[in-house]
Amino acid sequence: MNTKGMVTILAVTYGFIGILPIFLGDSSILMRILTMILIWSIVASCWDLIMGYAGIFSFGQVAFYVIGAYSSAILSVSLNVPPIVSIFMAGAITAIIGVIIGLPCLKLAGPYIALVTFAFQLALEPFLKGPLGKAIGSGGSRGIISVPPIHLFGMDLSSSELIPFFYFALVLTLICSAVIVVILKSHWGTAFLALKDSEDFAASLGVSAFKYKLLVFGITSFITGLFGALYVHYVGILSTRMLSMEVFTVLLIMIVVGGIGQYPGVVIGAVFTVTANELLRPMGIYRLLIMGGLVVVVVLLLPDGVTGLIRKFSVFKLRKKKKPSVEIRG
Amino acid sequence: MFIEIIDIIISGLLNGSVYALMAIGLALVYGVTKAFNFAYGSFYTMGGYFAWTLLVSMGIKGGYYTVFLTAIPFLFIVGFFLEKVLISPLRKRSDWQMKAMMLTLGLSLFLDIGYIAIFGPRLKSLPDIVEGTIDIGPFAFMNQDIVIFILSITGLLCFAWMLNNTRIGMAVQAVAQNPIGAQIVGIPKDRVFAATFAISTIMVGIGGILLSQKNFVNPQASTGIMIKAWVITAFGGMGSIKGSLYAALIIGMLEAFVGYYLGMIHIEVAVLTLLLITLAFRPQGLMGRE
Amino acid sequence: MLSIENLNAYYGQAHVLKDVSITVNKGEVVVMLGPNGHGKSTLLKSICGMVDSKRGKITYKDQDIIKFPSDKIVNLGITYIAENRELFPYMSTLENLKLGAYSKNARKHEKENLEKVFSLFPRLAERRKQFASTMSGGEAKMLAIARGLMSNADFLAIDEPALGLQPNLRTEVARIIKEINKQGKTILVVEQNIPQITDLADKLYVLEEGHITFEGNKDDALSNDNLKEIFLGM
Repeated sequence: MNTKGMVTILAVTYGFIGILPIFLGDSSILMRILTMILIWSIVASCWDLIMGYAGIFSFGQVAFYVIGAYSSAILSVSLNVPPIVSIFMAGAITAIIGVIIGLPCLKLAGPYIALVTFAFQLALEPFLKGPLGKAIGSGGSRGIISVPPIHLFGMDLSSSELIPFFYFALVLTLICSAVIVVILKSHWGTAFLALKDSEDFAASLGVSAFKYKLLVFGITSFITGLFGALYVHYVGILSTRMLSMEVFTVLLIMIVVGGIGQYPGVVIGAVFTVTANELLRPMGIYRLLIMGGLVVVVVLLLPDGVTGLIRKFSVFKLRKKKKPSVEIRG
Repeated sequence: MFIEIIDIIISGLLNGSVYALMAIGLALVYGVTKAFNFAYGSFYTMGGYFAWTLLVSMGIKGGYYTVFLTAIPFLFIVGFFLEKVLISPLRKRSDWQMKAMMLTLGLSLFLDIGYIAIFGPRLKSLPDIVEGTIDIGPFAFMNQDIVIFILSITGLLCFAWMLNNTRIGMAVQAVAQNPIGAQIVGIPKDRVFAATFAISTIMVGIGGILLSQKNFVNPQASTGIMIKAWVITAFGGMGSIKGSLYAALIIGMLEAFVGYYLGMIHIEVAVLTLLLITLAFRPQGLMGRE
Repeated sequence: MLSIENLNAYYGQAHVLKDVSITVNKGEVVVMLGPNGHGKSTLLKSICGMVDSKRGKITYKDQDIIKFPSDKIVNLGITYIAENRELFPYMSTLENLKLGAYSKNARKHEKENLEKVFSLFPRLAERRKQFASTMSGGEAKMLAIARGLMSNADFLAIDEPALGLQPNLRTEVARIIKEINKQGKTILVVEQNIPQITDLADKLYVLEEGHITFEGNKDDALSNDNLKEIFLGM
C-alpha cells in the first residue's frame, strides 16, 4: 500500500475512534472498549511489522507486553518512580530485553525463532511467580495489586478518569503509528521487502538482514513494552494471567482478521477483534470457542484478511493487472 | 542410591518412549510439509478423551483392546479429514506455511475449549491398562509402565517399518527430501500430505491414551504437550526422525533426573536451557540437515 | 502424439509462454532451442503439470491434459527429467530408481525397466547402494535420466541434459538419448547450443521471449544464418 493510502486509513480509523468519546463518553463500557482498541492496535501493529514485514516469526510479543507492564509497575510501586517516567523506562527495559533475545534468535530458522520466543513467554510465568520474580517485586502469584495511575497536568489518568486517559493513549498511539509508517516507508521498509523476496538478493544489495531485523526487533519491543506499561497504569492491577494463551490468540486474531503484512489492516483487525471479544463476553466459555473457530474460518476464507477483501473490490487490482510483465527465468 | 538411579532411568525411559512417539509424529509433518502444526497437542488430549468416553462413559467391552482398535482408524480419519478441509485449501498460496501455523493455532484453541464445553473443566482419570507390579530382584516394576513402554516402542517400530517398507512410507520420505522430485516421479503430493497429517494424529493421539493413564485427561494439557513435542523436535533437528528419537529419550531422562533431584518445578527450565544451549552451538539441532 | 495449441503460462505476474504451439510425433526427437530464461523449462513443466497458471490446449494421446495434476500425467506416460536433477538426496540409487516407478502404470514394469536401465547405465548398477547426494554431477545426471526411464513413459521431456557436463559426457548423454529413442520413446529435449544434442533432432523449435520463432528440420536451421550462428555454435 502507498503512504497516502496508509495514512488515510489510519487517520480515518483513529480519527473516528477519537471523536467517539465526545458522543459516547458517558458509557464506561464503550470507553473501555475504545481504550483497549488503541492499546491492542499498536501491540498488534508491532507484531505485524515483525512477522508480516520483517519476516521474523516471533511469538514473544505478549511476553514483551507483560515485561513492559511489570517493569513499569515495579518501578512505580517499589521505587516510587512517577508513572509518566516509568512507562518510558519500561519501554527501554523491554527494548533491551528484546535485543538480548533477538541477538541469538534472529540467526535461527523460522520455526526455531517461534519456538525460542514462545519458550521465553512460557519461562516468564514461572520466573515471575518464583523466588527470583518476588525478589524484584513481581508479587509472586498474587501479582501487583495497587499500581498507581499516570499523573499528568494535575490529573490522575486512571480507570476512573476514562476520557483523559483515552486521549493520552490516543496521542501515544498516533505517535507510534507514525513511527511504524516511517519504518515501513523508509529505506528499512524497502529492505524488508527485498528480504522477503530473497535473503540472498538482499544480501547482494548490501542489506544486512541481521542488523535490520535486530533494529526493528528493538524498536517494536520498546513500543510494545510502552503500551504494556500504559495498560498496567490504566487497570491498576497486574498478574501473570496476562501470559495466557487467550491473550496470545486474541492478538493473533487481530492480525489474521486485518491481514498479515497488510498494514494498516491490523488496526482494523484490532477494532473488530476487541469489539467482538467484548460483545461475546456474556457467552462465557463459548467466547473462546468462537474466537478459535473464527481464526480457522478467517484464515481459510480471507487469507489476506479484510485488507484482501477490500483490495478485491477496489481499483488497486485493475491497476496491478496492467503492469508490464517481467520476464523471469523459466 | 543405586536402586534410586535405576528407578529414575526407568521412569525416564518410559516417558522418553512415549515422547518419542509423539515428537516423531510432529517431526514427520514438519519434514514433509515444512509447516508447523500448532494443534498437535490438542490431538493428544483428543486421544485421552476418546479413551475416557469408551472406557468410563460408555463402559465398552474389551477394554483397551477395543480402545486401540477403534482409536487408530478414528484418529486417522480425524487427521485426514482436517488436513483435507482446513490445510489443503491453503496450499495454493506461497505463504501457506505461515497461514497453516495460524490456522492450527486457532484450531487448537477451538478444540481445547470444545473439550471443556463437552466434558467439563475437571480432570478425568483413565483406568490402568494393567494392574499390579512385578518384582525383578530388588526392583519393583509397575506392570502398567511395562505395557506402556512396550506399546510405545511397538508403535515406533511399526512406524519405522511403514516408512521404509511401504509405498506410502517411501512416498512420504520422497516428499520430505525433495518435493519437486516427488512431483516428477508422479507422487500425489496432496494425498501424501493428508496421510502424513493423519499418521501424526494417530501417533500423538495414542501417546495421549498411554500417558493420560498416569497424568489424567486434562483439557489444559494440550499446550504443554505441543511445546514438549516441539522442543524435542527442535532439539533433535526439525524434521529429523532419528534426531527426534534420541532427543525424546534424552529429554525423558533429563526430566526424570531433574524432577527427582531438583524438584518438578525445575523441569521446564532445565529442558529449555538444554534446548537453548544446543541451538547456540548447533542451530539446526542435534541431527538436522543443512 | 503430443500437440500443444496456444499455450500461455504465467509465473505470478510474469507472462512466460505466449501462444506457444508445437507438435511432437511418435518416435521423434524434437529439440527446443532458445536463450536462457525465455520459457523453455516452463514449457516442459507445463506439459508435465508442474505449472499451475496456464491456459491453452495440450493434447496427448487424444486427451486434453492441461488441467491434469502431475501424478495423473506421469501415469499417462509423460515424464519430466529436470535440468537440476531433483533426486532424493538421502536415498540410494536403487531407492531413487524404485521411486521413479511410483505411478501405477510403471509399477507393473518395475523389474524389466530396472534391468533395462542398469544395462543402459552400468555405472549405476555398480553404485546401486550409494546415496544420491554423494554422487558426482555426471552420475547424478545419469541417475536422473534413469529414474525418468523407470516411469515407463512413452514421452520424455528432458530439460538441458548436457548442461554443465564435460564434452565426453555430453557425447555420452547424446548417445543415451539416441538409444532411448531407438527403443521407441518419443523425446522433447530442451537445450541451448550443444551440437551433440541438436544433431539428434528430427525437428527443431526456437523459443524466444515466450514465442516460437522458428520451426523446421536441421537443414532448415542450417540454412538460417541467424540460427546457425547463435544456437548451433557452428
